[in-house]
This record gives sequence, structure tokens and C-alpha cells, in this order.
Amino acid sequence: MKKILLSGLLLFLAMTGLAIAGPPETLTAAYQQFNALFTGEWQQYGQLFTGLQKDLFPRLFLLVITIVPVFFFLHYVAIGPMSFPHDGKQVYCYTLFVRIIHWLAAVSFSLLVLTGLLVIFAKLLGGGSLGIWARIVHLVTAVIFSASVIPMFLFWVREMLPAVHDLKWMLIMGGYLSKEQKAVPAGKFNAGQKMWFWLATIGGAVMAVTGYFLYSHQGNIDTLRLSAIIHNVLGAAMVALFLVHLYMSLAAIKGSLRSMISGYKAEAELKILHPRFKY
Amino acid sequence: MGRMKFLCDIERCIDCSGCVVACKEGNHIPVGVNRRRVITIGQGQPGEKSISVACMHCSDAPCIAVCPVDCIYQRDDGIVLHDKEACIGCGYCFMACPFGAPQFPGGQVFGARGAMDKCTFCAGGPEETFSVKERKLYGQNRIAEGKVPLCAAMCATKSLLAGDADEISDVYRERVFKRGSGANAWGWGKAYKDK
Repeated sequence: MKKILLSGLLLFLAMTGLAIAGPPETLTAAYQQFNALFTGEWQQYGQLFTGLQKDLFPRLFLLVITIVPVFFFLHYVAIGPMSFPHDGKQVYCYTLFVRIIHWLAAVSFSLLVLTGLLVIFAKLLGGGSLGIWARIVHLVTAVIFSASVIPMFLFWVREMLPAVHDLKWMLIMGGYLSKEQKAVPAGKFNAGQKMWFWLATIGGAVMAVTGYFLYSHQGNIDTLRLSAIIHNVLGAAMVALFLVHLYMSLAAIKGSLRSMISGYKAEAELKILHPRFKY
Repeated sequence: MGRMKFLCDIERCIDCSGCVVACKEGNHIPVGVNRRRVITIGQGQPGEKSISVACMHCSDAPCIAVCPVDCIYQRDDGIVLHDKEACIGCGYCFMACPFGAPQFPGGQVFGARGAMDKCTFCAGGPEETFSVKERKLYGQNRIAEGKVPLCAAMCATKSLLAGDADEISDVYRERVFKRGSGANAWGWGKAYKDK
């Protein structure tokens, strides 16, 4: 009896679906309308976001924060850092204002990276209030970084414009893959520094906008989903180049950290790493 | 073990929002958070239909997949619950959910979101069953008391069904048979137009 009922029901449903496809008064059409209301747009960005967050983003960040340091460790062991005599003539490269802005951006950006990674890997730390505080610190430092990146963009943008010799610099990887010290094609800033500059300023602006959406939950749901995707992908790129910048300034070129503190660079270093720089 | 589900019979739902009020009152939901809501299509026109929607307690739930702290989990009976003390309020579950079920109370420091709140199928949370903490964080645990969720229990037209999937779909199937469909359907047309 139950079987007959069931097959009868199926036949009924099929018939009603075929006979009255258009008018929204039918049950089937009404359910279809509700379905479109609930899940219609989900297939577009909701599914994309779910898939990416489930399978890609945490792994992407894990890859970045493991592979990049391993690569640099190997570089440090195999090729070693560059070292230049610092007792010769000194060249004044960075004014006090530039250095203050740089360190304001540097400290806030470091905190952004740290708290961002804390949110992504919050499960390892149990989540809860630690994650909530990481998000609040992320917000405050984002405001400080956004404020400091504007003057930074203005005083460096002219020297950061791409030039033809940047391609050559990229091809020889800035000369970091060989032990011998040969002059590389670079002006005041080399192609690597330029990439970092544009990613930090323009990319930083994009991060600020998408981050505003994510933090405030303003805008429609697809805006939020796209913001989350952009914020994560761009964030991974920024973390990667942040680690590069960290390695270059702290380890790969001996004494380069001092130039951002005192403002002076040794002429011997500039002749090799920034030969086109007219000072 | 059964599979708990909600089923809303849209031929019976009259948009009274009793389920929303019952849920909000019975579970002491904070202001600005609605675990359940009623959505209406074709409002004011003949053939207007309403549906009551909350967390659908999905199989392979997207919220579970995206949560960065793994605080959302699914019980053996299909009910999706979450740990409010581990939640960091990132909002990813809200972006992953097709139904807009996860809600966030505001009013925290720096405008931050608090821990996510959503329908628990009136099954409490990970805290000890019937404890004060469970009631404070998640509301009533009516499933442990052997009752259906508040919304379904108070539904005046019995359009919102909650319970084991097989049983509530049986109830619904019998209803559809009795009502008939297509040309024989007992509804607006038969009652007011083609007497």
C-alpha cells in the first residue's frame, strides 16, 4: 500500500510540475522561489568562499610561513649574507621624517601580520578571547598602518616607479644567488623594494577596504564573501614579501638595519647594490 | 539514531511570527539577534506564501567547513551546535551559510562582534546538559527533555515541523495527499474562485 502511495505521489508531483510550471501559486513554484531566495546566490560566491576557506587559505598561509623561512635559511647557509665595509664614506639616504614614518608602518605592519596569523591559526591556540583580542589589535594597528602608509606613498612614489633595468634586476634575482659582489642594475630602490612598496601601499589600501567590510559586516553578503577571498589571497602575498623584507634587512645584508635607524648608507654598499642612485 | 530536521509546510504558514517570538523569548536571545525568521513571497497578493527559516542543520554544513577555530560541530542526530567560548566572532560561518543562520550580537568594545549565535534546535550546547551555563549561553535544552524545539511546539497552524526526518516527512506526505494537488487541490482557487 505504501509503495502505491509513494509512486502515486511521485506521479502527482511530476504532473503538477509539468502542468503548472509558470504561475507562482503552485506549491512547487513557491518552493522554487524560496530556494532561489535562500541559496540562489550562494552557488556563485558562497560556494567559492566555502571551498577556498576549507581547502586553500589555511594551507596557503602555512606554506608561506614555512617555505619562505626555509628557503632563506638555505640561502644563508649556502650563499651567505652580503657584507660591505661601513667605515668609508657615508651617504645620507633617509631623513628623520622618512625613518619615523617607516618605523610606524613597520611596527604596525608586523603586528598586523602577527595578529592576522593568530586569527587564521586560532584553532591551535584554542580560539576564544585570544582570537577576539587578536582581531581588535588587528583593527587598531590597521588604522595606524593606513595612516602611516599615506605619507610613505607620497615621499617614495617617484623613486619607486618601475624602470626598464628592474627587469634585468629580476632576471639575475638581484645578484643574491651568487657569492661575488657585482654591481646590479638598481637606482635608489631595486625591483624587489619596488614590488614590496607597491604591494604594501596599493595592496594595503585594498586590504584596508576589504578589512573594513569584514570587520564591520557592512554591505551585502557577496561583498563580504569577495572581501574575505581578496583579503586572504592578498594577505598571503603580503606576508610572503614581509618575510622577504625582514630577511633582507635583518640578515641578508649586514648592517642594512642601521641605515634605517641612522639614515646613512655606506658608499661601498651603494656602489654594488644601488649603482644608479645619484646622491 | 534519527536525523533531526525542520520542515516548514508553506501551505499552512500564515506569517504570524509566533515561532520567532517563542524562540527569542524562550531562549533569552539578545537584542539584534534572530535565530529564526519568517520570509514571505508575493506579499499582499493571492497565493502569498511564507516560510519560517532558521539554521537548517545541514549535512556537510558549510559553516563547519570554514570555521577557523573548529568550534562548530554536528551531533550524531544531525543537530549542528557550536562552542561560544571558542568562537572568535570572525563571521566566516555567516559568509558560508546559504540561509543567513549565524547571527552576531554587537555592542562589544571597538564595535567588535561577540560570539556567534544560531539556532541550536533547542538542544543547548557543549556545556553540561541542564547546567546554568548552558542555559545562559545557548538557551533551553528541550531535546534532552524529550520535547520538540520551542518554535515548532508553539506553531499555531502546525506548519513548522521538527523532529526525526522520516517521521516529519511522513506527516507532510499525508497532508499533501489529503489536500490534493493540481486541479483537485483544496486552496484559494477552490475556495473563492471556481466554486
